[in-house]
Amino acid sequence: MWKKITTVAFAATLALGLAACSSSDSDGASSDGSDYPKNNITIVAPSGAGGGWDLTARSVAKIMNETKLVEKAITVENKAGGGGAVYMAEFATKEVKNDYVLMVKSPPILINNNKAEGNSPYGYKDTTPLAQLTRDYGAIVVKNDSAFKSLEDVLDAIKKDPTTVTLAGGSAPGSMDHLVGVLPAFEAGIDPKSVKYVSYDGGGEAIAALLGNNADVIATDASTIATYVKSGDVRVLAVSSAERLEGELSEVPTFKESGIDAEFTIWRGIFGPKEMSDDAKEYWNEKIGAMVETDEWKTELEKNGWASEYRNGEEFTTYLEEQDKVIVELLTALGMQK
Amino acid sequence: MDTLQFLADGFGVAFQWHNILFALIGVIIGTAVGVLPGIGPMSGVALLIPVTATITSGMPTGAAAASSIILLAGVYYGAMYGGSTTSILLNTPGESSSVVTTLDGYQMAQQGRAGAALAISAIGSFVAGIISLIGLVLLAEPLSNVAIKFGPAEYFSLMLLGLAAVSGLAGKSMTKAIMMTVFGLMLGTIGIDAVSGIARFTYDQPILFSGLEFLTIAVGLFALGEVVKTVLEKDEETGSIAKINRILPTKQDMKDSTVPIVRGSLLGFFIGVLPGAGATLASFFSYTTEKKLSKNPEKFGKGHIAGVAGPESANNAASGGAMIPLLTLGIPGSGTTAILMGALIMYNIQPGPLLFDEHPEVAWGLIASMFIGNLMLLVLNMPLVRVFAKIIQTPKKYLLPMIIAISFFGVYAVQYTTFDLYLLLGCGVLGYLLSKNDYPVAPLVLALVLGPMIENNMRRALTISNGDFSIFVTKPLSLLFILAAAAWLLVPLLLKLKGRKIIINEED
Repeated sequence: MWKKITTVAFAATLALGLAACSSSDSDGASSDGSDYPKNNITIVAPSGAGGGWDLTARSVAKIMNETKLVEKAITVENKAGGGGAVYMAEFATKEVKNDYVLMVKSPPILINNNKAEGNSPYGYKDTTPLAQLTRDYGAIVVKNDSAFKSLEDVLDAIKKDPTTVTLAGGSAPGSMDHLVGVLPAFEAGIDPKSVKYVSYDGGGEAIAALLGNNADVIATDASTIATYVKSGDVRVLAVSSAERLEGELSEVPTFKESGIDAEFTIWRGIFGPKEMSDDAKEYWNEKIGAMVETDEWKTELEKNGWASEYRNGEEFTTYLEEQDKVIVELLTALGMQK
Repeated sequence: MDTLQFLADGFGVAFQWHNILFALIGVIIGTAVGVLPGIGPMSGVALLIPVTATITSGMPTGAAAASSIILLAGVYYGAMYGGSTTSILLNTPGESSSVVTTLDGYQMAQQGRAGAALAISAIGSFVAGIISLIGLVLLAEPLSNVAIKFGPAEYFSLMLLGLAAVSGLAGKSMTKAIMMTVFGLMLGTIGIDAVSGIARFTYDQPILFSGLEFLTIAVGLFALGEVVKTVLEKDEETGSIAKINRILPTKQDMKDSTVPIVRGSLLGFFIGVLPGAGATLASFFSYTTEKKLSKNPEKFGKGHIAGVAGPESANNAASGGAMIPLLTLGIPGSGTTAILMGALIMYNIQPGPLLFDEHPEVAWGLIASMFIGNLMLLVLNMPLVRVFAKIIQTPKKYLLPMIIAISFFGVYAVQYTTFDLYLLLGCGVLGYLLSKNDYPVAPLVLALVLGPMIENNMRRALTISNGDFSIFVTKPLSLLFILAAAAWLLVPLLLKLKGRKIIINEED
């Protein structure tokens, strides 16, 4: 047994050592003057390839380098695991002073940290928020032939008998899709715990469940559902934005129009390590601010169906504080807060 | 018709020069894997996942996934072609699905008809490959439309069926197979539970949050396990290889083989579609069917060509059929398809009912490439069969270090953690110990992959039914799957009680 433990410990030390080697740039943590960046930069997407975080990280890296805003090469690394929690732990402990590693994240950075069964002891306070880049909204979706014609219909049915309505989403209970789904119920005075929520592995599976009549309602991202709206398979009952969206979903009422006083924004932003040097902070504030103005970035947004919403580091931090409160409130209502 | 249009698009993907190259590499490696005793299709595919991941890393996700699955599937069905070579020439099956081929194949070789046996197994495999692909093309789309109706209850029961089938057939002892299944299920619970977010068996080690990587386990158990075994046991040197004279079969041979080939293809295809049953079972079924239906069953076992043609067609057809549950339901029916599925998931592509809508280039590209690949294999296995026969003589001292190197580099390239290297080593030793004591490893790997899926679907089903377990038996399809699962476990048990020999399904 001891041998096993020492082996694991040895493995861990080795891993640490290797991590230290690969990011030996961190020696220049407190880079003096304005000569930042001296080394190449890594943006980490704390998920596998292809997800929203990964696409955002790759777009930023590509545009920064293509437009020569950043001369040093930017590479994207995927560090999957635990819904982002595995890398979050590494970022908050091992990379604290490393100015050359950035991370892309979204609301789970708040959710994972606040949830009782959450998997991350680290939250946004263990990072330096650099900028918010994009936003997306939640959508409440039913199949085309569903009897539900509006969000009110769904809420009425849940009010009458919560066991008859199955709500599904692509993420675990207490995380994004679930919160989007129960938010209207919560605001309408329904005990969110009574809402029957079935979690699938990703939005795609949730959509499949809806199409196969294995879910009555699903909560998912507004940007991904548009293609299914176009093909006529589904109807969107409401979106969680403050104002109506553009494009395919322009006919869809907001939560507010449906009589529910709530909003939920799925933002994506870029974070630096907690003890990032002021030079680096300033550098990225300026560079990201310039990047979001480029045509290349706008093309990229359009290509991926993202809506632009830029906040600089300071605004982003304030925004995160507010969002943190909203999420704690919602989790409390669900009995899932820490 | 839509299907034809999709297929045409698929050929568009498959005919890109790099994908032709990938398919060619896949089938060549596959044939080699099939020829080499020791490395089966499962370890072959597992070993190559990291390699293809590295090669395709610069491409966009969809195209990278298509290319790498084209290569990996090539290894899978390529191995079905190659497996017969050693069975016929050496009386040593290259992999388990060619075990029955030794019965008549080696006899034929003894009578100087090795060439005809090899040729007929290549032709049979080709015909079977094409037949099963046509089945795949015709059935994939309609089946994925049915599959979308599958709810969590149906998924749960179907996966249970898959596990029951593998456990019921694998290895010499069903008890041991079930033990391995349960062990795999237990390993699958390690990590952060996707539904509740609770960390299970992680002992606060962040490295365990995402669970054990199945690729590491599979490569360790199969590839390294085989290395450890060879090193420790010093297999006796291979016997003399039968000479290959005339390659083309005679008219009489062709006449004798036509019906068995067609029958084997159809049989193999439908057995392949069943989760859990695989190429090995298909080849055994085909052999017994041919023997039963033959006018002169006494010829079997003495070098009858039908005894080669049928099973060799069946095992290849089964590998085509096995693609159906994988692509349309997202359920792997065997160890190898579990590994193929893992490869797709690595590219963030979820096999399942929506695969054909969301990633047509992957699904149809793969199907189209299998047509091309089968054609390549026919060419490779007819004139070049002598070359492949030489592979058998590859000295172990070159082969083993290569396997070890690929295992370690491969796992590290995908995981970037030293923890996985220790895990790999551990699994290598474990794999040897297990197979030495007749504990089949395939059920473990399949259970590791299916376990979390089974668990999540069970919980989803119970949420939908408000906690009522009867949902699993009141839904007709679900009930059917559960009954079938029980039958898979009970029938072999009854046969065993009656003293019948049970099929050994080591790795397919």
